[in-house]
Amino acid sequence: MKRYISRGFAFLIILSLLVTACQPAAPATEAPATEAPPPAETEAPAAATEAPAAATEAPPAEAGPVEATPGQEVNMVLLPKFLGILVFDQANQGAQEAHAELQNAGELQFLGPTPENSVAGQIEIVTTAATQGMDAIMISNNAGDQIAPAAQGARDAGMTVVTWDSPIPSAEGEQIFVAQVDFDETGRVMADMALSILGEDGGKFAVLSASPDAANQNAWIAALEEVLATDSTYASLELLDIVYGNDQSEDSYNQALALVDKYPDMELIMAPTTVGIAAAAKAMQDEGLCEEVKVSGLGLPAEMVSYTLNGCAPEFALWSFVDLGYLTYYTTYLLATGGIEGAVGERFEAGRMGTYTIEKDPTRDQGLRVLMGPFTVYDATNVEAAAQ
Amino acid sequence: MSTLRRYLRPEQIRELVLVFLIIAIALFFSTQVENYFSARFFNRISTSVAIIAVVAVGQTLVVLTRNIDLSVGSVVGFTAYFVGQQLSNNNDITPIVAALMAIGVGAALGLFNGVIVAHGRVPAIIVTLGTLALYRTLLVEYSDAQTVLTANLPEWILDLPRANIISFGDLDVRVMVGAALVVVLLFQLVLMFLPYGRRLYAIGSNPEAARIAGFPSQRIVLVAFVLCGGLAGLAGFMFLARFGNITVVAGQGIELASVAAVVVGGVNIFGGTGTMVGALLGAIMIDLLENSLIRWLEISEFWRDALLGMLILLAVATDAVIMNRLRDLWARSELQQVESEIGEHQKQEEGSYVA
Repeated sequence: MKRYISRGFAFLIILSLLVTACQPAAPATEAPATEAPPPAETEAPAAATEAPAAATEAPPAEAGPVEATPGQEVNMVLLPKFLGILVFDQANQGAQEAHAELQNAGELQFLGPTPENSVAGQIEIVTTAATQGMDAIMISNNAGDQIAPAAQGARDAGMTVVTWDSPIPSAEGEQIFVAQVDFDETGRVMADMALSILGEDGGKFAVLSASPDAANQNAWIAALEEVLATDSTYASLELLDIVYGNDQSEDSYNQALALVDKYPDMELIMAPTTVGIAAAAKAMQDEGLCEEVKVSGLGLPAEMVSYTLNGCAPEFALWSFVDLGYLTYYTTYLLATGGIEGAVGERFEAGRMGTYTIEKDPTRDQGLRVLMGPFTVYDATNVEAAAQ
Repeated sequence: MSTLRRYLRPEQIRELVLVFLIIAIALFFSTQVENYFSARFFNRISTSVAIIAVVAVGQTLVVLTRNIDLSVGSVVGFTAYFVGQQLSNNNDITPIVAALMAIGVGAALGLFNGVIVAHGRVPAIIVTLGTLALYRTLLVEYSDAQTVLTANLPEWILDLPRANIISFGDLDVRVMVGAALVVVLLFQLVLMFLPYGRRLYAIGSNPEAARIAGFPSQRIVLVAFVLCGGLAGLAGFMFLARFGNITVVAGQGIELASVAAVVVGGVNIFGGTGTMVGALLGAIMIDLLENSLIRWLEISEFWRDALLGMLILLAVATDAVIMNRLRDLWARSELQQVESEIGEHQKQEEGSYVA
């Protein structure tokens, strides 16, 4: 009898291992890229001139843009996908900068789950923040729509809920999404880089993404496919395949090598994830393939500098996560203090970054967004300066 | 048949079956994937297997004692990051010192596991599940959100994954593969010939009997965890060399891959049976399957993991059925032998009465 029990137990263990093995890795660092310049540099007035095009497109509000009233007490939580990734710490830097600027009498907490517990941890932190009587939470969502009930609960408890970096797909429970770049524009930027690397004749390429259920990654890839299908400028580009490296070095590295084996005539790997692009570049360098297969996508200058200089990854793009944190803080502070209500067409002043307008999010069925932008494209001429 | 039975144990038949399975998988995919039997493919698979195989050897030591170490993934990640950090700060550290540093850090983390399991008498699955999260969090805190960058590492470690021992044409036997084979062989010999190795089996087969027989069970289990941690540390060093950029998620999932390799390789999860060679074969089979499936155009990204899971399940299940049959067969033949010997003995005795 004991033998049967133990055999059944063995089976259970194996089964549970398999089930776990079959799930995509929990932590998805889809958040690509970040600004490399140190915080001091981002405070330079130059940043303000980069104010988004969206501001000018939006319908003019009756009055001028709303300005934040400093010195009010708003207790806030900044929630990254998980702790320990540079881009989220940079977003925190930006938020802390805004926190000091607005002389918020409340506190700003940077709270996040550990990498292996990202989804459950995020939901727990949102729920806990509501019960602890925090006033506002800023979420870089890694939990898809699973976080919606917790976010709605926080709203019901009177909290302000803003997402940044990665939105809640259904927009349920979320007031505004602060978008780093226009998700549709990302597709065009990737197509442009592909064309610039492959030349006028174009060629075949593949996409190495993060996890299959990362909302921002999927939106960018969809935008890329859209642009390839509709714009004749990119007619010479052919997208062969989309594979997923789950934002783990090992998976991404193996997937990049597998792509090379699968498609002998592939000339470019496009990885819109910081982990993926670095792993793919390392794989090509290790196997001596940099001449045949180039790597591009969204990457950190500090991680990519050597590959850009040796020609493995001649061009890549990114935006500033410090600015994203700063803008997210301003948006949330204004919402929480009643400066803005979260309606289409409202305009507000975000400190050093200039004027922004709330608009309907064109990349989702529902939801509002504030668009930051723009992209910076890095190549051998400017990557070293950015990597410092 | 009986001579065959004498020379082949069921465990060895199992390993032979694994070898045939690996060949069958390779033959099948060679019809599906272009350039499958190429030197390039061999080089890639072998380097990838090397890391998992080293972890699987450590895992085997622990599993043999009827324990399990789920923290190895975090240990690999932590050591890879830690050594990468040290090398970035000081490019003059020699390869030997760096490797020893990795093994030392891994062993220290393993010691923590071992002390709690052996002396705290807490089930290993609970302890190491805890330290899996604990070591990962330690890494997150320690890293301060910085990434170990390829650009800051010394040249030699970046060249290590490409370094060869010998090449047959394009077919390379790389240093990392050689190191992994040495580790497997070394510990296989330990298991076969050293008293420590035999005691691991004794404890796993019957902990109570081993205790009554006077084995220092606690110390043996403790040492198994320390060795497992040290080997995970070595794997962390190899991980650093291969992937260069190390983030806080480095090595995640290796604990599952190593347990899967060990189980497929015929090491009993309840201790007492299994070999290093089996664990190596298990690691090869899983890695070969995975690397073949991601190159197979017929199958979509989303089905790949499911198919991999089903294939592993199938391998383990058929294997379990066959193994039980074989064990019964062996046991029955031994029983018959014993019975016939007893029978002859009785006849002789009867004969002596008559005389």
